[in-house]
Amino acid sequence: MVERRKVEIPEGKKVKVSVGEEDFPFEISPMFEGERIRKGDMFVELAGPKTVGFELVISLPPDQVEDMKATLVGIDLDEMEEGGRYPFAMIYYIAGEKIDPDIEPVVERRNHEFQNYIEGYMHINSRDTIWIRIGKNAVKKGLKSLLQIAKATMLLYKNEMSFIEKIEALYITDRELVEKLLNELARPIYEERDARVEKLHDEDVDEFYSCSLCQSFAPTHVCIISPDRPALCGAITWFDARAASKIDPEGPNRPVPKGECVDPIGGEYSGVNEFAKQESGGSVEKVKLHSFFDSPHTSCGCFEVIGFYMPEVDGIGFVHRGYPHPAPNGLPFSTMAGQTGGGKQTVGFLGVGMAYFRSKKFLQADGGWYRVVWMPKELKEKVLKYIPEDMRDKIATEEDAKTIDELKEFLKRVDHPVVKGVVRPVDGKKITEGWVEEKEEEKAEEVKEVPAEEAPSVLPTQLPIQMPQLPQIPMAQSMPTIRLIIKNAKIYIDKVVVRKVEDKKS
Amino acid sequence: MVVIAVTGKGGTGKTAIAALLVKFISEKTSNILAVDADPDSNLPDALGVEVEKTLGDVRELFQVTRDSLGTVDKGLWLEGKIFEAIHEFENFDLLVMGRPEGEGCYCFVNNLLRGILKKFMRHYDHVIVDCEAGLEHFSRKTIEGADYIVVVTDTSRKGLKTAKKIKDLVEELNLNFREMFLVGNKIVGDEAKEVIKNFAKEEGFVLLDLLPYDEEVVELDLRGEPIVNLSEDSEFARRVRLIAEVLTGWGS
Repeated sequence: MVERRKVEIPEGKKVKVSVGEEDFPFEISPMFEGERIRKGDMFVELAGPKTVGFELVISLPPDQVEDMKATLVGIDLDEMEEGGRYPFAMIYYIAGEKIDPDIEPVVERRNHEFQNYIEGYMHINSRDTIWIRIGKNAVKKGLKSLLQIAKATMLLYKNEMSFIEKIEALYITDRELVEKLLNELARPIYEERDARVEKLHDEDVDEFYSCSLCQSFAPTHVCIISPDRPALCGAITWFDARAASKIDPEGPNRPVPKGECVDPIGGEYSGVNEFAKQESGGSVEKVKLHSFFDSPHTSCGCFEVIGFYMPEVDGIGFVHRGYPHPAPNGLPFSTMAGQTGGGKQTVGFLGVGMAYFRSKKFLQADGGWYRVVWMPKELKEKVLKYIPEDMRDKIATEEDAKTIDELKEFLKRVDHPVVKGVVRPVDGKKITEGWVEEKEEEKAEEVKEVPAEEAPSVLPTQLPIQMPQLPQIPMAQSMPTIRLIIKNAKIYIDKVVVRKVEDKKS
Repeated sequence: MVVIAVTGKGGTGKTAIAALLVKFISEKTSNILAVDADPDSNLPDALGVEVEKTLGDVRELFQVTRDSLGTVDKGLWLEGKIFEAIHEFENFDLLVMGRPEGEGCYCFVNNLLRGILKKFMRHYDHVIVDCEAGLEHFSRKTIEGADYIVVVTDTSRKGLKTAKKIKDLVEELNLNFREMFLVGNKIVGDEAKEVIKNFAKEEGFVLLDLLPYDEEVVELDLRGEPIVNLSEDSEFARRVRLIAEVLTGWGS
């Protein structure tokens, strides 16, 4: 972890200090939020896309923080040229009983909001992309020093976040020091924060979040976003959803209390089940976040990648939206997506976001990566670093296999776990038996006598399956040798007999 | 904030009118935002300015960057990028909506966009939107609503048909507008005037003005020169200036 300590101000720099409260020559109100200071109305621009800057909150022990002290290193507003652009860094030291490094980003995020309450002051973006403009009107009204801005911001912090017992600000306009601290202090801390996210798991939080942004396409679809399962559109992480729900608790991202953990491996929670039942109008009763076969998460239609089960090899393939060719099961992304979307729980298909491949709980109930047999090369390359090393050469791409038969050959050759049975890493349980004696030819004969609409299923019959009912895309597509097109037909079938074909020659 | 949407069939001269409205209104206040919401026309050209980045570019950038943003607040990130796509000129700001969506899911980014645009648009005195007849950005609520809708038409059957379609669409979209106007353009002769007048009466438009066919406008267009270079004493320019005054003073 990056050591938290006060910045040492190098000798020879211009330093200005002010302690305590004062009156401000500007108004402070939420009314000014979103106020845009146009180029023509601007006195100066600080940080922003054309120069350097950052904001950072550092937690310190109380004895190291001098409350309401503001320090400026570098030139101040009254020495700046009108229309000029200057580097700018804002560092806040905070202390309090409840304050630790985990809370730093939460506090830092509010700098944007509070500073925008200041009349004639515009704050955009966060971290090392901040962009500030100070209006001519503010300077005309008597704004002289950045220390006034620092004091106003600190006051807002103390009023709005009462757990901050002490706060001190260090503002810097000296280019050399801004650049040095950005590289040596701020960026390492940002990286540390991002790394922490990957260590956050479902069991570490009390609430998940829902997302109903897609409900217009899929009324019964309920996206549940947990630390280990980002939204399947790929856009929303647990952190994004949490931030959105704080801004608008009644909006599209609402908190979902976890309740009790019913199945830690599948990822089933009583709170999630209740929520799904309620939001889907009762059509979904149970959701397991990390399971492919048992009560899988519903899919809206927006997903980046679709997973599909291939019973012939007892493994799971994935194909992403950009891959135009059919997967080994004979179906392209669009056909599978059409059958899976719309908020149905479709066993055998699952929509996921690209970021789910990163998850430590990636399909853990079904063996995770050890059950994955195929993905397009482009997708595989993107997620390669998340694939366990011993599996990297065992997952086929279109270069290795384009059909089920080729896939079978490949899997046998590389000795993929599905061939002899998958042991799921999460608890060491053997969950599949591996391939049994092949009875291929007989099966194929049987298929021919079954009426088209109920016929060739790509899914194994022993699983409780809801077949996607989309008559305009008959599943017969999965068998490339047969295309059955019936137009304007009325079919009356009195009796259907399914019988094993006897060998007439014998 | 007053939002003025200028729309109509392509070729009726709506972009020229929108550009002149921007010019004349921005003479009174520079706190004005011009929005190019028609991928087929070119408001920047009409205004004589160049743009580097569109909102569509920003949206695409978000789609490919979102995965690597870590714990950065995506709303703030997007807002920053949008502000970079707002081009600032002496008398007005300009935002070009740009390319339509590509593949994949845009629910999240569009939801963020709506919130950001709503928040920052309200700080302008006037927002002037040049939009295609399908009113896409209004129907998606990227732009929340319009106070005044100015439908531009010539006397062509297609122009009038489109005007009627727009009216039906506007009523369906629930835009909370205060008034919907019709402006006839390229009007030559009394017969043409009657056609537009009758159309306005039948369809319940407030007829704002009948603009003449103007050689100079056509020539500027031919030479690819900005319409805002139109001589200010031409009848066309004088009349659009009047329209600008009516629109900014309407209701007061």
